[in-house]
Amino acid sequence: MHDPPATSSHPGSRTSMYNVQRQHSGLGGVSSATQAAKTSPSHAPGHLKSKIPSNRRMRRIISEDAEWTLAIVPLLTELCIQHIVKNFQNNPILKQLLPQHQQKVLSHLPPDLPLTVTANLIDDENYWHRCCIKRWPVCHVAKHGGSWKRMFFERHLENLLKLFIPGTTDPNVILDLLPLCRNYVRRIQVDQFLPPVRLPTPPQGDEQSDSGSDGEGNEPEKDHYQLEALVAGLKHLEELDLVYGVKDCGMNFEWNLFLFTFRDCHSLAATIKACHTLKIFRLTRSKVDDDKARILIRSLLDHPALEELDLSHNLIGDRGARAAAKLLSHSRLRVLNLANNQLRAPGAQSLAHALAHNTNLVSLNLRLNCIEDEGGQAIAHALETNKCLTTLHLGGNELSEPTATVLSQVLPINTILTSLNLSCNHIGVDGGKQLLEGMSENKTILEFDLRLSDVSQESEYLIGQALHANREAARQRALNPGHFMTPITNNGPENSVA
Amino acid sequence: MNLLANLGFFDQNDEEHLAATIHGPSVYSDNPQERIQARRLRIAARQEARRREALGEYLDGKKESEEEQSKSYKQKEESRLKLTKLLLCGTELVTNIQVATDIREIHRRVEEEEVKRQRLEKLENEVKTSQDKFDEITAKWEEGRQKRIPQELWEMLNTQQLHCAGLIEDKNKLISELQQARGCSRRGELKIKDDQFVKDLKKQSDDISLLLERMEEQVKSVMKNFRQELMQIEKAFESERQELLSNNMKKWERALQGHNAKELEYLINRMKKVEDYEKQLNKQRVWDCEEYNTIKIKLERDIQILEQQLQQMKATYQLNQEKLEYNFQVLKKRDEESTVIKSQQKRKLNRLHDILNNLRTKYAKQIKQFQEENQTLTSDFKRLVGQFKELQKAMRHFAIIDAEKFREIWLMNEEEAKVLVQRAFDVDKVISSQHLGLPWKMPDFWFLKNVGPISMQQQKSATQILEELLLQTEEDETEETSEDESYMDLPKQVSAKTTKKILMLLCDESGFLIESKLLSLLLPLEKNECYLLRLDAIFSALGIESEDDLYKLVNFFLRYRSHRLSSIQYSTSTQTERTSLISTMERMSLLSQTDRKSLVSKSEVDSMVLPEDLPEDDNESLVSKELREESLASPKLIHPNDVLKILEAFVMGLKKPNLVLTQRAKLLMENDSLEEQNAEMQSLLQQYLQAKVNSELQIPPTQSFRMPTK
Repeated sequence: MHDPPATSSHPGSRTSMYNVQRQHSGLGGVSSATQAAKTSPSHAPGHLKSKIPSNRRMRRIISEDAEWTLAIVPLLTELCIQHIVKNFQNNPILKQLLPQHQQKVLSHLPPDLPLTVTANLIDDENYWHRCCIKRWPVCHVAKHGGSWKRMFFERHLENLLKLFIPGTTDPNVILDLLPLCRNYVRRIQVDQFLPPVRLPTPPQGDEQSDSGSDGEGNEPEKDHYQLEALVAGLKHLEELDLVYGVKDCGMNFEWNLFLFTFRDCHSLAATIKACHTLKIFRLTRSKVDDDKARILIRSLLDHPALEELDLSHNLIGDRGARAAAKLLSHSRLRVLNLANNQLRAPGAQSLAHALAHNTNLVSLNLRLNCIEDEGGQAIAHALETNKCLTTLHLGGNELSEPTATVLSQVLPINTILTSLNLSCNHIGVDGGKQLLEGMSENKTILEFDLRLSDVSQESEYLIGQALHANREAARQRALNPGHFMTPITNNGPENSVA
Repeated sequence: MNLLANLGFFDQNDEEHLAATIHGPSVYSDNPQERIQARRLRIAARQEARRREALGEYLDGKKESEEEQSKSYKQKEESRLKLTKLLLCGTELVTNIQVATDIREIHRRVEEEEVKRQRLEKLENEVKTSQDKFDEITAKWEEGRQKRIPQELWEMLNTQQLHCAGLIEDKNKLISELQQARGCSRRGELKIKDDQFVKDLKKQSDDISLLLERMEEQVKSVMKNFRQELMQIEKAFESERQELLSNNMKKWERALQGHNAKELEYLINRMKKVEDYEKQLNKQRVWDCEEYNTIKIKLERDIQILEQQLQQMKATYQLNQEKLEYNFQVLKKRDEESTVIKSQQKRKLNRLHDILNNLRTKYAKQIKQFQEENQTLTSDFKRLVGQFKELQKAMRHFAIIDAEKFREIWLMNEEEAKVLVQRAFDVDKVISSQHLGLPWKMPDFWFLKNVGPISMQQQKSATQILEELLLQTEEDETEETSEDESYMDLPKQVSAKTTKKILMLLCDESGFLIESKLLSLLLPLEKNECYLLRLDAIFSALGIESEDDLYKLVNFFLRYRSHRLSSIQYSTSTQTERTSLISTMERMSLLSQTDRKSLVSKSEVDSMVLPEDLPEDDNESLVSKELREESLASPKLIHPNDVLKILEAFVMGLKKPNLVLTQRAKLLMENDSLEEQNAEMQSLLQQYLQAKVNSELQIPPTQSFRMPTK
C-alpha cells in the first residue's frame, strides 16, 4: 500500500458512511433520523464531490475494491425516506419534508396504517386510492364526488355502521372515528342496521306469528343504532341513505329483524332535524307507516337544506301522504319519492292540492300506489297550474280513461312537464286516443311511458312520433339557444359574397 | 353539428363564388365589354340579395342549404337517430322487465285483495250467524229462568248446551277452516303460497339475470352500434373530404393551368422585353463607346493643351521671375535715386525755409515801412479830405446856382421850343387836314408837357427800393411793366427777379457783414423781413444808400459774371464802379492791416483771386480804369488830376509788396509741386511694393501649374 494520502482518506470516509447507515438501521429512532437528515447535506455531497474527481485521477482505487460502486449505495435522502416510511406509524413526518420527498414518502406508505395517524395528515389522493383498492375490490369513486379519501371514509363508516350491534359493540368504535372523518364524510349510506342480539334467545316457537307478536311486545329492546351523535359530529353531511333491515339473513329470517321502532323513528327525526346541511334523505324498505312518516316529516318541516326525500318501499298511507303534502308547501323539496307505498285517492288528492301551487318540486314519484282515477284526476288538474314539475311517475296506479281525458286536456296547457309515466294502468283504447290528442298539441314532453296500459298500438306509435318530434326540437334548442339568430348570421356571408 | 355543417356549406359556397369571380367576367379586365358585363352581374347580384333580404327568405336559403348538406351531416343525423332509437329501444327492453314485475305485483295485489275481501266477507257472515245464534241462546236463558219445572229446565239446558255446542262447533269449524286454510299451507293454500314464493323468487332471479343479460347485451349492442356508426361517420367524413379534396384539386389544377398560361404569356412578354432591352442595351453600349472614345480623345487633347499651357506657364513664370528680378533691380535703383532726391529735396527745403525766413523778416520790415508810409499818407489824405470837403461845399453852392441858372435857361428854351413845336403842329395840321385830307391829331409827346430839366428826379433810398423790390417780386411778374415804368434807370436786361436773386445771394453770402447780435434777433422774423433787414445791414455796411448804388451793384455782379465767363472781357460799365470802388477801398484798407488770405471774405475772394490770376497790368489798369471812370462819373468838384496823382502814387506804392507777394506765391507753388512729386514718388513706391506681381511672385510654382487646369 504505497498509496498517496488521498487514498487512505477514502476508506475512512466510506466507513463513516457505512456507520451512518448502520445507525439508520440500528437505532431507527427519531433523533437519529433527524440527525441524519441534518448531517446528510453537510457530509454526503462532500464525499461525492471528492470521490468523483479522485476516481478519475486514480483508477487503482477501483481495482482495490471491485464490488464497490456508487450505484449500490443508496442516497442518504433515500435511506431517510425509507426510514420515515418504516416508522411512520410511530413518528409521522410529512409536512416538514420537501415536496418531492413528501411524494416519495406517500408513495411508499403502506395502506394499512392506523387511521388516527393518516386521517388528518395525508391528503394525497393516491394514498387513499391504494387504501380503497386494497379494501374493496369494486370502487366507484365517481359516486363519492371523485375523492378517494372521501370514499374511503364514507365506506369505512358505512361498514362500521352495518356491522354495529347495539348492546354488544362498543359505541366508541364509531365515535372514535368521528374526529378523523368529520371533514370528509358527506354521505352516509347504510343498507342494514343490525338489531341487538338477545343472548338468551327465546325458544322460537313453531309459529312465526308468535315470534312476530313477541317482537312487537319487546320493541324497546330492539332499537337500532342511534345516529344522533354521529350525525351531529359530521360537519359536511349532505346525504343520508338508510335502510332499517338486515341483509343476508338467510334461513335465520325473523320478522322482527326488520323493525323500525318508534324510538328509532324519534331519534332519527331528531337527528335529521338537527342536521342543517342535509340535502338528501332516503329511508327505504323500512316499514315506515303513517305515524312514523308523520313523525319524520314533521321534523323535516322548514328544513333549510333538504332537497330530496325518498320514502319509497314503505307502508305510508293517506295520512302520511297528507303530511308529505304539507311538507311540500313548507320546504324547498325538489324531489319526492313515495313509490311502492299504500297511497290511495285521498292522499293523492292532498298531494295534488299541494302540487298545484308548489314552485320547488321537480320530480314526483308515486309508482306502485293505488291512487286510482280520483287521485289521478286531481294530480292531472294540479298540473294545469303547476309551473315547475318536470317528472311525474304514476305507473301502476289503477288509472283508467277519466284520468287520461283530464291529462289530455292538461297536456296542451302545461309546458314544463318533460317526463310522464303512466305504465301499468288501465288507460284503455279510448283513453289512449285522448292522450294522443293531448300529445299532438304538446311540444315539451320528451318521455311518455304507456307500456302495458291497454293502449292501442297505433296511438302508442303516434305518441312515440310526437315524442320524437319534441325531442328533436329540444335538441335543436339545446344546440343553439339563439335559434332565430342563426339564419341571419348564416345569411350574412352569403350577402357579402353576393 | 348543424352549425358546423352550415359553416362548411358556406365555405363551399364562398369558394364557388370565388371561383366564379375568378373565371367569370372580371371588373379589372382589360376588355371594356367584359368589364361592363361584370358590373351588370354585380348589380344584379346585389339586387337579388336585397330582394331576398327584403322578403326575409332566409328560410329558402336554409332549405337549400339543408338540401345541399354534406354527406357527413346526413350520416351523422342518420346515425344519431339510429342510435337514439337503439338506446330508447334498449332501455325500453330493459325497463320492460321492471314494468312486467310491476304489473305482476299489481295483479298479485288485486288477487290478494280479492282473497282478503272474500275472507273478510266470510268472517262477517259467520259473525252475523253466530251472533244470531248467540242472541237466540241468550234469549233462551231468560226463557229458562222462567221455567220452574226442572225437567223442562234440564231439557232447555240441554238444548242450550246443544246450541252452544253448535255455536262453538261452528266457530271451531270456521277456525278449522281458516286453520285449514293455514293448515292447508302445509298442504293446501300455504303450500301453494310457498310454492308461489319459491316460484316468485325463481322468477325474480330469472328476471334479474334476464335484466343483467339484457343490460349487458344492451351495453354490447350499443357499443357495437356506436362503433359502427362512428366508423360510418368517419367513412362519410373521409369520402366527403376526398370529394372536397378532389374538387379543390380540380379547382387548383384549373387555377394552376390558368396561372401557367398566364405565366407563359408573361414569360413570352418578358422574353420579348428582354430582347428589346438587349437591343437597346447594345445600342446604348455602342453609343456609349463612341461617346467614351470622343470624350477620351477630347480629354487627351485637353491634357495636351493643358500641358502646353503648363509649359507656357512655366515659361511665363521664368519670364516673370526675370522681369521681377529686373524690376527689383530697377526699384532698388529707384529707391536709391529717390533717397538721393529726398536728400536733395530736404536740402532744398532747408534752403527754402531759410529764404522764407529772410522774406518774412523782409516782409515785416516792409510792413513797418508801409505803415509808416500809410500814416504819412493818411495824414495827407485827411488833409486832402478836408480840402475836398471845402471844395464840395463850394461846388454845391455853385451847383445850386448853376442849377437855377440852368433851369431858367431851360425854361426859356423850352418855351421857345414849345412855341416852335406849336407852330410846326399847326403847319402839320394844316397840311394834313387841308392838303392830305387826313384828320390830324395832335401828337402827344412827353416833352411837350415837360416843365423844367428832365434829369431832376428824386432818388429813392436803397432800402426803399429793396422793400419795393421784394414786395413786387413777391406779388407777380405781370407788374414788371409798372416796375419798368417806375425804375426808368434800370437797365432793360436786369429784371426785378434777377436783382432779387442777386440780392438774396448777396444776403446769404455776406453774412459776415452783419453783426451776430442782429442775426440772433432776426431769427424769429419772417423770411422776407429777415432778408430786408439783413440787406439793410449789409448795405449799411457796404455804404449803399441810393437806388443807383443798388443797381450799380447788381450790374456789377452781372458784369462780373459775364466777365468770368469770357474771362477776358471786362465790364467797364460805369454802374459797377461804385461797388468795385468800395470793394477796392475796403480791400486796400484791409490789406494793410492783416493777412490777406485769412481775412478775405467769400464774396470778395472771387474778386480778389481775379487780380492774382490776371497779369498785374490788367489788374492795375482795371483799378486805374475804375478809378478813372469813377473820377469821371463823380461830380467834378475835385480836380481829377490831383486824384490821379494820388492814386498813381498809391498804385506805385502798392506794386512793391505785390511783387514780393507774387514771388512768394511762386516759391510756394514750387514747393507745393515738389511736395506733390514727393508724394507721387512715395505712392509709386508703395504701388510697387503692394503690386499684385509681388504676391504672384510669392505664389509657389505648383499652384501656377494648376491654374491652367482650371
